[in-house]
Amino acid sequence: MENPYVPFLMRIEEIIVETEDENIKTFELSFVGKADEERFVYTPGQFAEISVFGKGEAPFGMASTPTRPGRLAFSVSKIGVVTGELHRMEKGDVVGVRGPLGNGYPLESFKTKSLVLVGGGFGFSTLRSLTNFILHDSSRKDYGHLTVIYGARRPGLLLYKRDLEHWRERADLQLHLTVDKGENGWQGHVGFVPDVTRAVAPNPRNAYAVVCGPPAMIHFTLPVLKELGFGDENIFLSLEMRMKCGIGKCGRCNVGSKYICRDGPVFSQQELSRLTTEAHMQEGCTGHGARCTEKHR
Amino acid sequence: MSSPSKILRKVRLASFLERLIQERQVFAPVREGEVILIREIESPSQVVLEYPNAKESPKSVLFPQRETLFWYRAEKGKAEVDIPRDKEQGRVLFGIRPCDARGLLLLDKVFGGDCRDPYYVGKRANTVVVSLGCDDPNPSCFCLSMGGGPCSKEGSDLFLLDVGDRYVAEGVNEKSAALLADETFEKLDEETAALAEKVKRASGASMHPVVLKEKLVEQLERLFNDPVWKDLTESCLGCGICTYLCPTCHCFDLCDEAAGTTGERIRVWDSCQFPLFTQQASGFNPRPTVKERFRQRIMHKFSYLPETQTMPGCVGCGRCVTECPVNLDIREVVTSLSKGNAR
Amino acid sequence: MRQLTTDIRSIARKLLQEKKVQVVIGFERGSMPLRSRPCFVRKEEDVERLVWDGFCENTLAAYLPKRKEKVAIVAKGCDSRAVVELIKEKQAQREQVILIGVPCRGMIDRTRVEANVAPKRILQAEEREDVLILKGSDFEQALSRSDLLHDSCKTCTHPNPVLHDVLAGQPLVEKDGDSFSDIEAFDAMTSEERWAYVSKEVDKCIRCYACRNACPLCYCPECFVDASLPRWIGKSTDASDTTIFHLMRAYHLAGRCVSCGACERACPVGVDIRKLNRKLQKDVKALFGYEAGLSLDETSPLATFRPDDPEHFIVNP
Repeated sequence: MENPYVPFLMRIEEIIVETEDENIKTFELSFVGKADEERFVYTPGQFAEISVFGKGEAPFGMASTPTRPGRLAFSVSKIGVVTGELHRMEKGDVVGVRGPLGNGYPLESFKTKSLVLVGGGFGFSTLRSLTNFILHDSSRKDYGHLTVIYGARRPGLLLYKRDLEHWRERADLQLHLTVDKGENGWQGHVGFVPDVTRAVAPNPRNAYAVVCGPPAMIHFTLPVLKELGFGDENIFLSLEMRMKCGIGKCGRCNVGSKYICRDGPVFSQQELSRLTTEAHMQEGCTGHGARCTEKHR
Repeated sequence: MSSPSKILRKVRLASFLERLIQERQVFAPVREGEVILIREIESPSQVVLEYPNAKESPKSVLFPQRETLFWYRAEKGKAEVDIPRDKEQGRVLFGIRPCDARGLLLLDKVFGGDCRDPYYVGKRANTVVVSLGCDDPNPSCFCLSMGGGPCSKEGSDLFLLDVGDRYVAEGVNEKSAALLADETFEKLDEETAALAEKVKRASGASMHPVVLKEKLVEQLERLFNDPVWKDLTESCLGCGICTYLCPTCHCFDLCDEAAGTTGERIRVWDSCQFPLFTQQASGFNPRPTVKERFRQRIMHKFSYLPETQTMPGCVGCGRCVTECPVNLDIREVVTSLSKGNAR
Repeated sequence: MRQLTTDIRSIARKLLQEKKVQVVIGFERGSMPLRSRPCFVRKEEDVERLVWDGFCENTLAAYLPKRKEKVAIVAKGCDSRAVVELIKEKQAQREQVILIGVPCRGMIDRTRVEANVAPKRILQAEEREDVLILKGSDFEQALSRSDLLHDSCKTCTHPNPVLHDVLAGQPLVEKDGDSFSDIEAFDAMTSEERWAYVSKEVDKCIRCYACRNACPLCYCPECFVDASLPRWIGKSTDASDTTIFHLMRAYHLAGRCVSCGACERACPVGVDIRKLNRKLQKDVKALFGYEAGLSLDETSPLATFRPDDPEHFIVNP
């Protein structure tokens, strides 16, 4: 019987420091057992649980595209036990990877349609995977017009700077970068992602929108998309909940009758509005980021 | 497909168990101090069958509170992982109550399905469940209201019914065949069969039904944001007794326990009632108080699981009713929610 | 008993009518025989739910920490002592709490009651002054109340609330000082014997944390067992982790525990938790001359720093 709790062993091949505060790094991993590569077949939007042996596991969205075989990439924000240890690791170190997990973006539905990808901050990870997947020679013709709107708090916090440069040079996507707060040297747009979305005014006809980012960004972007005429069934989000097993058994990510890890993390806005209010708490919370000090009674 | 029913005289029970113990791991109710628990037995004399129900559910036999998923060795530049092998020896879960046997059905659905949990599924496959019908339920029992019953055979492989100096043993499926072939089992006579029917008919009579005014699932959907939850949950202490003792609760955590470069990844029981269960790395917690956490338990058991697994996450064993330190009674909670107002 | 119920109800009614408090925390009849349970009364018409009997065993003071409202609590001796400590530790303000003191004759241990008639099922229980009458489907039995009390009630020396704003009923005779006879045997044990005893008890523990959550003095927003940075103990029932949980919790309560017994009453598997707390209570009394919960003016020795505190064992170990 296959064992969904046992990870593949993967070696760190490259570590890219994404942000100027060094809190986000992208890890490029290769399979220690070459045969394992064939068993890890994934699509953009899926995630994996990375094991740092001795510390535990944490879930990360796939930041790489399956169209580039041999390597998996994950962007990791240093925030706790597992991520803290991961950030201390070096090229050559071995970690465990369990996956692919989750449902991924609905690529079949997306085919022949225009796509509007709206991302903010760290949430842009899986949208990078999706963008690179669509842009790949083998896939590009399957999809229509591609608009990517991506914002970060400051220029130094924009991820995937190499990708952004390549994308800028391409004619087959429209890239809009923005930052909340400009800095010396920043030539680009300054403004919040929802406002940029409104200004870009993507055409909702035959189009899907995907929104990934902090709850506040989602909270203000959704009404903009609705104003522009996107229906609930045409807007997709990637939800976040504390996850552990990744296979819909441990109960941690249960929201309504769904398990975010197994039935998601990608959901259409239509599906989400049918879920209980708990799902909306994900979007509506301002995510203060401070440790909750109320007694949890 | 069921095997014929037979008789097992109580005076011959010990020799039957003796033989079982030699071939398999046998888990049965035993007394430990003041408390009845399901434990592995070495001798038939340990077994207690005159008992309302064990304090803890038998889920720990198939889904232990602490289970090693794999051992690892990890040093700079290399790592290896070693998976434990399940015992070859078969197991018998002997003398558990029908509610607990039914609880296993829910666990089967959760740990089975498309993505199977080999640790649970492996143990379950080589476990024979021998349940013991109830003729004198506790005031806290409500299995009938949850689709089960004191003589329900769901989840059992072999069902025993106490009719005085003997048990009537009903085979439920082919797993029981090997047990029933044992020499201790005798042919069932008509008089005993009739007595068994009488016992079954009388068994549920004293149970208090849980009367729901309206269809619970619809009411729960409607009442998700209702202030009634604040009143219903105000006395909850937020401990984990209800979930740990429940035969169907199955939330767990995965963690590493390390000693230098070696260690193990273990699975441990967890509880949606614990404050940090859903706390995210950012510090945000979608269920910050007992109200949200208790509501999750009720919704999961009576709304979500019926939808996804076609059975509620409650078998009416009554343990959460008797063991809750503040007597927060789940029967009263669902009854009052079905009425659409506070208690 | 019935008089106390009437008294408590009329006090509660008056407090709510006069809007002196927003909620009265008391007891109501439980859903099973031998059970009464906490209830929160906010409306006058609900005052009739309040009862007083020998099953009002929960420590209601546990509901006090961080509460923002003005609250009245039906307080036994142990509740009032816990409230004193909570006020000293700034988990509540004196002005926001109205203590409805109830002198307590001790609460009945239902596991002891059940053990007396097991395996017969109790369907009805009636309390009459000094006798408890039990009825099942095929039996009736009367037991003496004083034989059935919780251990913590047997060792209680302050049945009258040390702090109260209004008293229901008549004060009871205070007992002479605490002899700590219940831990004589434990005290006499060698280290190895104590370790063996603790290990045996801890083996039963299922880490449900009911003891911690029922305790009025355990109110930390993040308990040390839940901390991950650093991770002090593991989550499983591993013997050494569980032992550390109980030992450390006992030490965190040293000089603060009022021996209400909520911990051992909540425990579903009968771990003898209070033994450690009693031992530490005895030690604190001997070393500091202090007993928790008796006075708002007495400072807690282990929670108070004084510049002249002895430090030789730190600087010259």
